[in-house]
Parts: sequence; structure tokens; C-alpha cells
Amino acid sequence: MMSQSASLESDFPESAPSPTSILNTLPDISLPSKCCSPRTQQQIDLLLLALEALELGASEQMLATARQLGIEQVIKHRVNLWRLRCSNPWRRSYTRDYLSLDQAKALVIIAAYRAKDLMVVIRQLLVAEQQMREKNLPIDNHFRLSEYLERFRAHFRSRMNSRRAKVSAYVDSEEQLNELALSLLNKLLFCTGTRGMQRVWVSLFDGEVA
Amino acid sequence: MNTKRHYSLPNCNLILEGLEDADAESADILSGQAPMSILINAECHLLTSNQKLSGGSVFLQNLAHAVSNYAQGILSGLSQPDRSTTEYPQVSLQKLEEQHLHRLTLEPEPNSGETKTEVDLSTVELFDLVDAIDQFYADRSALPNITLELKPVSKRYRKPEQPLAERLTPVAIGFSSLAIAAGTLFMIPPPEIAPPESAPVNQTTETEPEKSKTTTTEEEPDSNQSKPNEPDNSP
Repeated sequence: MMSQSASLESDFPESAPSPTSILNTLPDISLPSKCCSPRTQQQIDLLLLALEALELGASEQMLATARQLGIEQVIKHRVNLWRLRCSNPWRRSYTRDYLSLDQAKALVIIAAYRAKDLMVVIRQLLVAEQQMREKNLPIDNHFRLSEYLERFRAHFRSRMNSRRAKVSAYVDSEEQLNELALSLLNKLLFCTGTRGMQRVWVSLFDGEVA
Repeated sequence: MNTKRHYSLPNCNLILEGLEDADAESADILSGQAPMSILINAECHLLTSNQKLSGGSVFLQNLAHAVSNYAQGILSGLSQPDRSTTEYPQVSLQKLEEQHLHRLTLEPEPNSGETKTEVDLSTVELFDLVDAIDQFYADRSALPNITLELKPVSKRYRKPEQPLAERLTPVAIGFSSLAIAAGTLFMIPPPEIAPPESAPVNQTTETEPEKSKTTTTEEEPDSNQSKPNEPDNSP
């Protein structure tokens, strides 16, 4: 499916979206360096990781969504998507690359569209979480919620670099990882709203702009 | 003419009542509907807790602003700088960390006789409230003069990852160890400086340059001697 030459292409080209591109639904953020900060990149990758824990074959769905939305210029193929996600400094395979605004927008748009498709599941899981908390039961006791949390923990442990202090703190504590997974689920819920995509996009740059 | 707008979500209903703009030019091109330009009453029904919040234009603006800002704060973990609202009823939201709930407080004007309303919302209910307000913002036919502008929070409000005390300890340790080291070194008496003894004149160093001088002078006459020989041979 993927040729060798395809993976040798530059993953970080300068692309100019057409004026009708869906990328323009998100506002441009005036950043001092024109590129996203590692913190922003980490947040985006974690959102996508939570989506992967929600559904099987999520990365294929993400690529399909990119094609549907006409942003395959920015996210071309599986390797490209993977390399963009490796801009997360927590990753084992951290590439030390910086995402351009268009690439970050594309990833956020994909996350938001996937979240919209999974809205029912996300809501059900969060309602279940609230019910478990009200009854003072451990969250893991809910079958579907524990399935999501378990998959998230497995993805996180296998992909993140545990030599980083923050990652190792998460890896060591199941409770902390569960909290992270639930906070990401909350963010995904907000992605599904009328202006949710814009809200999440703007929130990624909180504390980054002058 | 009276008009009504409903924004319905599973846990929250927002109902706006107002007057249509009579001016035909401002009507929406697609639907032909005249926009609501004057708000008479806004009601927000929170269905799970069965509470009703209502008020006029100020209530709606304060509610929309507070909820929108709070949602952004939830998403990034950085609270938005507060716009000081002086008009009542004031709306504020607060996070209840332990119960994982969000407390919505509606504070009526003091001396008005009304009581303060507090509603605890779960995250899903909060999301529904945010979405109801976002639908209202997105609806161009309802109060088009109220708009939402989302902006990232400035760097100035960013909390440092480590608290100040933690960041200052290395500096304090550095300075104190320097002070201790300086104190202990102060105790040690400075070594006495012995004036260097006048060294006797070294003979070997003096004789060597002389030798080299003699060798160079010896070579020069050789070259001089060869030159005068050449013109002698030529004639």
C-alpha cells in the first residue's frame, strides 16, 4: 500500500491550503515562532491516543476522515500521520520536529470529527464515570469504562518514553493514568459541541501566546 | 412581534423570548426570518437538577460569558482572566475538585430580596450548557449583536510547572554553600609569600647564543667568497 519512496518524502512540507479548505474553520493563532510548542503537540497526540483507546482501527478511521475532509495534502498516509504524532515529546520515537499550524489544525479537525462520530460512546462513558463516583465505587468496576481505561493505559505504556520524569510518574501510577484518560475523554466530549473544535483548538494555545 | 428561540440539549434547555426586528432589511436571506433584536426574557432549564435560571439581557450575557470562559479553563487548565462584571445578576462557576462537579452560582442584586442560586453540574451537564450557549452564539437570527470571541490566554497567566519555593531552593543552596565555603576558607591563614631569591647568573645560557652567532658569521663569508669568484671566470 505504501511505497518506500512515499516514506522518504518530507513529512513537514510548506503547504498552502486553498481558501475553501476546512483548515480555515479554525482561526490562525499568532505564535512567536510560527510553529506549535511541544506542549501543544503533546496535547494533540494524547487526544488522538484517547480516540485510539475508544475504537479499534482508529488510525485507519483517522486517515479515512482526512480523505473525506479533503486534507490529505497535509496528512498523506499512515507513516506521515505517525510522524506528525511523533512530534509529541513524550513519545519513545520523538522526532523533535515542530508541527506547522496547518498540520496541527488538520490533526485537531480529525480528532474533532472522530469525536463527533463517537459522541454517544463518549457521553455514555462519562455518565458512567459520574455514576460510579456518586456511588463511591471504583471506576474500574464499570465494564466499558474499564475497557477504555485499560486500552488507554496499554497504549500509553507501549508508546511513551518512561525515561521522562512525567511519563514515568504516569506509568507507575494506574490511578494517575486513569485520571489522564478521563480528562482526555472530557476534552473529546467538548470537541463534539457546536463550537467545540474551535474551543479545543484555542485552548491548546492557552499560555503560549504573548 | 414576539418571537421565541429554543436550544434543546439532553440536560439543558435554553429559551429566549424577544422582539423581532421590524426592519425587513435585516431579515435572514435564507430563511426570511427577521432576527430577534431585543431580548425580553431568557430562561435556562437544567433538567437533571430541575432548576430554572432566568433573567434579562444582563443575565444572558453574564451567563454566556461565564460559561464560555469556564469551559476554556476546563479544557486547558488555565483559568481565563476575569472580566470584572459589575452588573447583577452575576454568574460564576467553580470547580468542586473532590466530587468532580462544577458549581454554577447565580448571584442576584443585593437588597433585591432574591436568594442566591447554586446548581451543581456534572461534566456532561456542563457540556450541554456550553453547547446550548454555543448554539445561541452560532444562531445569527438571535441577538446578532452578542458575539463570542475565543482567544488563547496570554503567557502571563501561565502557571509555572514547579512552584516558586521549589525553583528557589537550588539558588538558595548554591548561595549558602558558597557562603560556607567562603567562611571556612577565611579560617585558613593565607600562605606566606617568600620573595624569590636572586638567582645566580647562568653561564650556559649566555654561552650558547655566542656559539650560534659565530656559526652564522662563518657562513656568510663563504657566500661572499664564492660570489667574487664568478666574475673572475667569465672574462
